[in-house]
Amino acid sequence: MSASIHIERASKVYDGAVRAVDRIDMDIREGEFFALLGPSGCGKTTTLRMIAGFEQPTEGTIRVSGKDVTGVPAHKRDMGMVFQNYALFPHRTVRENVGFGLRMRGIDKATVARKVDRALEMVSLSAMGERRPAQLSGGQQQRVALARAIVIEPRVLLCDEPLGALDKKLRQQMQFELKELQKTLGVTTVFVTHDQEEAMAMSDRIAIMNGGRVEQIGTPSEIYNRPKTRFAADFIGDTNLLSGKVVERDGGKVLVVAEDGFEIPGADHHPGGVVHAALRPEKIVLHPDESDAPCIVRGRIDSANFLGDSILYRIALPKGRHVLARAANTAHSRMLPPGAMTRLDWQPSDLVFLAD
Amino acid sequence: MTPGRLAYIALNAAILIFILAPIAIIFVFAVNPVPYIDFPPSGFTWDWFVQFFTSDIFMRSLWLSLRVAAIVTLLAVFFGATASLAIARGNLPGARTITAFVLSPLMLPAILTGLALFQAYMFLDIGRPLWGLVMGHVLVTTPYVVRTTLAVLHNFDTRLEEAATNLGAGPVRVYFEVTLPLIKPGVIAGGIFAFIVSFDQFPVSLFLIGPGNETLPITLFNYLKFEMDGRIAAASVVSILISLVVVIGIDRTVGLRSYGKM
Repeated sequence: MSASIHIERASKVYDGAVRAVDRIDMDIREGEFFALLGPSGCGKTTTLRMIAGFEQPTEGTIRVSGKDVTGVPAHKRDMGMVFQNYALFPHRTVRENVGFGLRMRGIDKATVARKVDRALEMVSLSAMGERRPAQLSGGQQQRVALARAIVIEPRVLLCDEPLGALDKKLRQQMQFELKELQKTLGVTTVFVTHDQEEAMAMSDRIAIMNGGRVEQIGTPSEIYNRPKTRFAADFIGDTNLLSGKVVERDGGKVLVVAEDGFEIPGADHHPGGVVHAALRPEKIVLHPDESDAPCIVRGRIDSANFLGDSILYRIALPKGRHVLARAANTAHSRMLPPGAMTRLDWQPSDLVFLAD
Repeated sequence: MTPGRLAYIALNAAILIFILAPIAIIFVFAVNPVPYIDFPPSGFTWDWFVQFFTSDIFMRSLWLSLRVAAIVTLLAVFFGATASLAIARGNLPGARTITAFVLSPLMLPAILTGLALFQAYMFLDIGRPLWGLVMGHVLVTTPYVVRTTLAVLHNFDTRLEEAATNLGAGPVRVYFEVTLPLIKPGVIAGGIFAFIVSFDQFPVSLFLIGPGNETLPITLFNYLKFEMDGRIAAASVVSILISLVVVIGIDRTVGLRSYGKM
């Protein structure tokens, strides 16, 4: 039976001073694949460990399916966890590792054997049951760790950077397999990662964390297209961060980007002090500077990197600042050479105003 | 073969010969019929072994040494392993000081430890009972167990214990299912040291032995004071073999190997 998790103003303070987690709120829904994403030291692992019961929150509460679990010891929480580097028991065989949780629950031998068989089948390791962890490859160990966590049919599956030690190809394959398995089982999953692509590819929703706080919670597309904070915009994908003032001019609103000396019409934001905005590189449209047709700003191509599916340009604006622009590599596109002048244009609605 | 490699092998051979030559001499002495060290040996005989195994005094002290070593090993393993766990896991204030204190018998010459214990026992009017000897041995052997167990605990990945907890094991089960099996190689290595150190113990025993309660090294020493014949060599050979059998036996049954990287 899958569970929901509600975290309310939870903090973890070490030595009375270091706020590893700072008053966070999260609602993780039943059956959801929820990623905690952020750089190292952002509090994501501490949050996961509080859910698992390895750490007690200094303040705030954590409820699982509505029930406060704050005082419940870790071994009674009925959660499956996949650790970074797997933490497989080196002195036990694969079968014994997978069966451990069932044995701790006092389940009879025949049932344990049957469930272990089925779990190993799920992760396609049926032939490896009698081996020891040291005799398996990294990917196989990862699967054992996963089987060990799901065989107990946990209310919640917790994953702490489980794919971090794998090489890129295997990592992508495991991302896919893990996601499939999660969907089949329908188990609520909390997934810690610092890899934004991984979080985007796998999650229903992502919580972006920074400095112990939650910056934004949303679906991958919400977070990518509508980041709320500068950190969120910068952390996910490539971003151009612009700052300036919104002023009213001729009855419409205009963002004046002071440092670069250009104006963006149609700014959907209240006039006032300095504001920050994010602009994704692929939203910028480049035109060869052959005419003096109107555009938002002109620039000179500084470098052009061919990435296969796209070309990433670094463009110098008149006052020396650089922006990134990404052009799809289509059949009729041609690469603009470094040094060429170009006009930059974008839809006003592609400019996302940020809280801070 | 390069000259460097040749020099390397020669150096290793020299070290091995230096270590093993005295043992080889003992073996030769033990099967040589003449009652003094003589080379080349003038014959071959098992006579000294027969005399050793039929001597009441030798057999009594050999049996006593074995029993003392066995009990000392059990106690040293118990105290050493629990002390190590407390030091490594207990979040104790002054863990370093405690470690230094527990290991201090290793730093002192054993003869001083023996003398100090002797005076303490006299002062406390304990006399020289067998358990006093056993406690003296435990004192000097426990540091070996602490040393080897702490080394294993130092490399212990505590996430293994968290994994077991997460899978539903309470603290006691985590200890018996995960912690103990994984620190076992360190504990056993320390236990082997403890056995050998106790079995061969001379300086501490010298002060704490009561009349009629001589261990084998003391009996050998007393015998050497008056006589020097093949029985001494035969006793030494038996001593060496017993130590060897204990090490190999424990390695084969409980195992010294650790489970790769922990």
